[in-house]
Amino acid sequence: MKLLRKFVLLTVLLGIVAMPLAPVTYAQAQDCPTAKDNYVIGFANLTEDIVFTQLVREGILAAAEEAGNVEIVLADNQLDGATALANADNFIAQGVDGVIEFQTDEAFGNVIMSRFRREGMPVIAIDIPMPGATFFGADNYLAGRLAGEALGEWVNANWDGEANAMLVLELPQSGPIPAARMQGMEEGFQETVNTPVADEMIFRLDSKNTQEESFQVVSDTLPTIPDAEKIVAITINDGTALGVIAAAEAAGRADQIMVVGQGADPSGQEAMVAENSRYLGATGYFPELYGFQIIPAMIDLLECNAVPPAIYVNHVFISQDNICELYSEEWPAFCTPS
Amino acid sequence: MKSARNRSLAEIASLVVILTLIIIFFSQASPIFLTQRNLDNMLLDITTVGILAVFTTLLMIGGGLDLSVGSTVALCGVVIGALQGTWGILPAAAFAVAIGALVGLANGFLVTYVGINPLITTLGMLSIARGLAFVFSDGLTIPVFDSEGTQFDAYNTFTQFGEGQVFGIATPVFIMFVLFILGLLILQFTSYGRAMYAIGGNAQASQLAGLSVRRYRMIAYMLSGLSAGIAAVLLTSRLYAADPRAAPAMELTVITAVVLGGISLAGGKGTLIGTALGVLILTTLLNGMKLLSTSTDAQNIAQGVVLLLAVGLDQLRTRDINWTAWLRGSRLMPDGTKAIAKGD
Repeated sequence: MKLLRKFVLLTVLLGIVAMPLAPVTYAQAQDCPTAKDNYVIGFANLTEDIVFTQLVREGILAAAEEAGNVEIVLADNQLDGATALANADNFIAQGVDGVIEFQTDEAFGNVIMSRFRREGMPVIAIDIPMPGATFFGADNYLAGRLAGEALGEWVNANWDGEANAMLVLELPQSGPIPAARMQGMEEGFQETVNTPVADEMIFRLDSKNTQEESFQVVSDTLPTIPDAEKIVAITINDGTALGVIAAAEAAGRADQIMVVGQGADPSGQEAMVAENSRYLGATGYFPELYGFQIIPAMIDLLECNAVPPAIYVNHVFISQDNICELYSEEWPAFCTPS
Repeated sequence: MKSARNRSLAEIASLVVILTLIIIFFSQASPIFLTQRNLDNMLLDITTVGILAVFTTLLMIGGGLDLSVGSTVALCGVVIGALQGTWGILPAAAFAVAIGALVGLANGFLVTYVGINPLITTLGMLSIARGLAFVFSDGLTIPVFDSEGTQFDAYNTFTQFGEGQVFGIATPVFIMFVLFILGLLILQFTSYGRAMYAIGGNAQASQLAGLSVRRYRMIAYMLSGLSAGIAAVLLTSRLYAADPRAAPAMELTVITAVVLGGISLAGGKGTLIGTALGVLILTTLLNGMKLLSTSTDAQNIAQGVVLLLAVGLDQLRTRDINWTAWLRGSRLMPDGTKAIAKGD
């Protein structure tokens, strides 16, 4: 009898304590049907074969662990539209609460999103926009512009604000996204440098996204501009930038060139910290940190909080000036004062 | 004849047992595995492999091999994407199927009349078809939609190939079933099917017996290409887009499934029911692994192991080993000496 009285008292007390919370929870459930205590989120990675996307996956898993109430279901889109669609169907079959999609092509966006929309699932699309999904990814124009402006400032400071020629190592086959990056770099440079490079001295070269091709096309172009002693190069990524520098070195004209790029991956950083480096720097994308912006945004979406339609990576132009603030452990010889 | 049939039945029974074991394992490991939704997804996912496997079976029974099917799917898809605006979507789709058949015919001609090894021929065609797909599409995925708004009905019909239903079954799955039944009828009940078994078993003897080995094999290559064209139409319709990178390494998956199903690499042996079971085993395994969030690397390893096991078993079957004698011969006797089998 005594035990029963204690139990009743405890229940009443708990009821009193929980009473103020109850209407909130009820209202939350009413207003936001997707809000829960714990979430299962599907993440379909672009591919597991490249370092960039592996870092994205690791970042997402780390951020989910940090959040504490998120379980991640992984899938690999294998750079293939049909696989991405099959993964989308699998996520729905598994009853995930929300989806992070990193898929290969905008053209598949409609058909994949139609599946998720039918289920009322919130989706965050990485780098490739999808209709109805919150976009997360690079601000390609801004990322390009940061590198272009840095190169322009360097030319103003070191070459009296004038360059004789500009090499544009682009990637035409991949459409508007890399094009925005290149446009940002070119406009950033031309608007910053004291004397913009004349149109006829801008050489647009198809890098095919590889160091080898970049080396080849620059090796072919340099002999056509023998009088140019101040050459700038803007490149689609680190590998392409390294190809440009290697071609200039092979032609014995390394001191006549200065290069900027995109990515700032370990190979690019190594070139930046080298002695007499001709790689001024590159805009960083920080794929390892994607998850720490994406997971909170997904939780906000699931809890019906306002989320902007596009969330951009915080880009930083990385050069010898700031690399030690970001990657001192990776380059101890460069970053440790002698 | 009777022992061959018994062996074939035993092979099918062993495949059923393997499939059952896989199903039991994954149904215990994942509560989602046996849900209607996942089973529907799985059936839809296997359509491309399944359709390609039907005529790959026919071809391999006749002693042929086609490594270019995946690239042909990509090429045919791009043909649809590239011609949809000028020809109309349905004529473009029909033309893509014809292109698939033409690629198959080219393979058949090079193998049978020019005499190039099937592996080399179809490996070369793999590169050519993939390269052409990239050339025609400029390396970009082509969205399939009625950009001018003048072909509403035609596009509606086209999307039904990938998204529609026939008798309550998804259209691609229905088409796959129809092709399987057609393949089964050809193999079991037509003189062409019987001839393919004979040609695969012994091409020279078949030639001497009056069979037109070249013509029969060329038809098989053409059908293989044709099936790639059909698969391309269904895939493009499902994705609303034509991708020059579509069906990557599909030939590996198809050959793995077919060999797993008991089709001999040497030709002349196997059944389409075995192929169907091979396709089911492979896709069930990969689907289950996906549900358990297994990495793609692990899935690739599993697929490779399955292929090697299947080929290994095929080799052992071909040698027709007397297992009792083999086991007796390899057993160490109590005194440490090897037992000598009778007749050694």
